[in-house]
Amino acid sequence: MPEYEAATRAVLRALGIELEIVQEAVCCGSPVVESFTAGWVYLAAYNLALVERMGHGTVVTVCGGCTNTLTRAARALQDPDVRAEANRRLEPLGLSVTGQVEVKHLVRLLAGREEELRTRIIRPLSLHVALTNPCQVFRPGDVMGSDDSGDDPMEPQSLRRLVELTGAEVVEYGGEDECCGATLYLADPSLALAAGRRKLEAVQGADLLLHGCGNCQLLLRRFQRLIIRDEPGLRKQALLLPQLVGLAMGLPEEELGLREGTWR
Amino acid sequence: MNHPESCIQCGTCVTVCPVEMVGGHAIVSFLADPDATDYSVWLCTSCWRCQEACPGEVDIYGLMMEQRRAVSLQAPTGYRAAFESVLACGLALEVPQGELDQVRAAWGLEPVRLPPPGLARALLCADE
Repeated sequence: MPEYEAATRAVLRALGIELEIVQEAVCCGSPVVESFTAGWVYLAAYNLALVERMGHGTVVTVCGGCTNTLTRAARALQDPDVRAEANRRLEPLGLSVTGQVEVKHLVRLLAGREEELRTRIIRPLSLHVALTNPCQVFRPGDVMGSDDSGDDPMEPQSLRRLVELTGAEVVEYGGEDECCGATLYLADPSLALAAGRRKLEAVQGADLLLHGCGNCQLLLRRFQRLIIRDEPGLRKQALLLPQLVGLAMGLPEEELGLREGTWR
Repeated sequence: MNHPESCIQCGTCVTVCPVEMVGGHAIVSFLADPDATDYSVWLCTSCWRCQEACPGEVDIYGLMMEQRRAVSLQAPTGYRAAFESVLACGLALEVPQGELDQVRAAWGLEPVRLPPPGLARALLCADE
């Protein structure tokens, strides 16, 4: 999803944060690898080891799944036995891991810079936005809740506050904390589309859907035509968080992966 | 880990499950019979709502993943294909290096090197 990365980079660059890509990273494994092998943690440990080799203390993620898997792996690596086994497997690759890397999802990175962000909003948006919180960023609370946001894992408010910062109005539709259903596509595509449709039907009072996870965007934007095939009236624009924030910061639509004038 | 014996059958998990909301049964049949080699175990979307809401603090996610591993021969094609792809090339959905280079260049994004083939398999199957 190159538009997600492009928009994320554009917004963070404007805030003085340059991202460096993790070369040769593997799929985080969420939830596929974990479904087949308890060794999933070693795959995630490899990605964390790459970050450690780069000398960075934080890895920024834009997907709920990666955020969750890497955070839980970092937690698991605090067990000396797990860490020793991870290092045994990484050693032939010339890598080692401590699990001390902080995994930070974009929502939390931006939420931690709310005041700075507020001063950068130069084009407040008059839009009605229906948001979906990225599930795996906030749950399970005992592992994912370890920052100072005070977010309730069942009803986190960070994303809502960021949307409101752009001037947009958040439309309540009752499904803010309901999983989009994208992962269902792997097991039962028709149920996944039914979950997407349920959301689209609930957000008809909004101008657009707003996501902080690639999976939500995948189901509700890329697969939307499959969902609304028999009811085109349900069509709804869907943006990613950095696209919305970037628009309010006055960044060029092209840099945010939005073809000028056509996204509305 | 908390085992299903801590389940008090209160049904909270079912009321918050997004799969149940669209008529699928990810949890109900699983908690009723944790040994069932039921297809429903693959419907879980990993949203962690049930686990967060569970008053018995049952590790529903952990149990669900354990059960998937126990019945992995019956995995739906989508899951199986994604896992085989990770083993082969490190990515759930294979993208050839050339295609990736083209897309990233078109978006003005720095080039990304894909992981070496077989690396994921070596990390995951170190003992086999």
